Amino acid sequence: MNMKKLTAMLCLGAIVAIAGQSVIAAEKKAAPKAETANKVAAEPAAKSSENSGDKAAAESAIAAAESARKKAASIDGEWRDTGKMIKKAQAALKAGDSAKAIKLAKKAENQAKLGYEQAQAQQELKMPSYLKY
Amino acid sequence: MINMSTRLTSIAAAAAIVLGGTLSISTAVAADEKALEEGKKLAFTRKDGNCLACHVIEGGEAAGNIGPPLMMMKIRYPDKAVLRAQIWDASVRNADTAMPLFGKYGVLSESDLDKVVEFIHSL
Amino acid sequence: MKNLPGKLLLLSVVSVIAVTAQAAQYETDKEAFENHFKGRFPDVVREEFANGVYAIDPIGRESWEAIEEFPPYELFVDDGKEMWDAPFANGKTYKDCFPDGPGIAHKYPHWDKEQGMVMTLPLALNQCRESQGEKPLKYKKGSINNILSYIAFESRGQVTDVVIPEDDPRALEAYENGKKFYYTKRGQLNFSCANCHVQNAGMKIRSDMLSTALGQTTHFPVYRSKWGTVGTLHRRFTGCNSQARAKPFKAQGEEYRNLEYFLTYMSNGLTLNGPGARK
Repeated sequence: MNMKKLTAMLCLGAIVAIAGQSVIAAEKKAAPKAETANKVAAEPAAKSSENSGDKAAAESAIAAAESARKKAASIDGEWRDTGKMIKKAQAALKAGDSAKAIKLAKKAENQAKLGYEQAQAQQELKMPSYLKY
Repeated sequence: MINMSTRLTSIAAAAAIVLGGTLSISTAVAADEKALEEGKKLAFTRKDGNCLACHVIEGGEAAGNIGPPLMMMKIRYPDKAVLRAQIWDASVRNADTAMPLFGKYGVLSESDLDKVVEFIHSL
Repeated sequence: MKNLPGKLLLLSVVSVIAVTAQAAQYETDKEAFENHFKGRFPDVVREEFANGVYAIDPIGRESWEAIEEFPPYELFVDDGKEMWDAPFANGKTYKDCFPDGPGIAHKYPHWDKEQGMVMTLPLALNQCRESQGEKPLKYKKGSINNILSYIAFESRGQVTDVVIPEDDPRALEAYENGKKFYYTKRGQLNFSCANCHVQNAGMKIRSDMLSTALGQTTHFPVYRSKWGTVGTLHRRFTGCNSQARAKPFKAQGEEYRNLEYFLTYMSNGLTLNGPGARK
């Protein structure tokens, strides 16, 4: 009877321990992050890549990325890898992997937008404070 | 017998609590250590965080000295979120900073950035 | 009407003052630049900056001096001399385009009023070739580095002396554009040229010391151990932009020519010592 009690207690302890772990795990998962949210939003389109609709989605994502890249380039704000990402997206689309193509195109578009903003914010030269006049 | 049984029960309960606590703590520590280890790797490799390019970090070789050494971080950044914000976009605090905007410009993904923050904050 | 001559006089005085004030800006830029490096490296004599990072890195300097005992660019200089002397298909040579050659590197870059652009030595060499019915050379790699090495070698001892002429506002504009380029943050890593070579010159990125902007143009073309060959200034610009993860610009395009104009002007007064050898 004592043995039974002991076993029961130990089991309870183990349950408490496991519960503790899963609480920790759940907390980690729950921590909201902007990027994760974005990724989740992008995924539904990516998952059903066999659909012809996704091919069209990939094409339009690539077109959007390319036009954003051109816009950034027009004010000398293009980043090094943006064009390469678009080429990779085109290759993925050609290989029938629309999901990959969309993912790459979105990444390229995001880079192009950041590069544009970076250059736009510096249209007027502000001399840095470390150079004393 | 009753006494004995009660004692045994309380011992078992204590053991269970201790055991449970240890189990839970040790897995949490293991998870943290994994994040720290991954964060360290990201901070040390040239391709990803490459913190060593500009900062001296204990245990890192061929470190640069453009930025301040990364030490006593818990004193310098009691609030981990402030440290994260600094790594995410250092230009907020100093427009002329030479530090890349690791988060804002997507040099590191948000999850990798979290790992780097864990590691840097542990220094 | 009686007043007109007086008004005209006043107007011309005002415009002269305006031009002078405007022209002074690049001089102020240079002064700030010089003071910055003087402040950072008070023990380095000015002329030493012509040696690039080795002016401020005593450890690197030792191995550099050892390399200079048997200069890795020597063969390129020799090949360049052959190019200089060899007649084009029409029987003419480079000398016909550049009567003062081969020691002409100190005349570049300069403002070309006729073409309305910054003229660099590689561009002038190709314009010469094309005027003689020859194909232009590539601007980053290849045999252009041979002839540039020879010209640089023959120009050693000449002094950097970039002029920003006051009779053509476009020259000042080109200078200003080059200056803006130098201070503009670019690429995913958000670096300006100045972040490394003004703000952090002399600091170490990993184990490499960052060179000072002052003296960056004196030694081109350069043999880089990393390249295993001699390369042009614009190839180096390309590499820098690329490391900042910005899309590099075209070699000898307007952006890099203006940048060269600004950067070389900043080194005015420093002796040319190309071709150089670097890590």
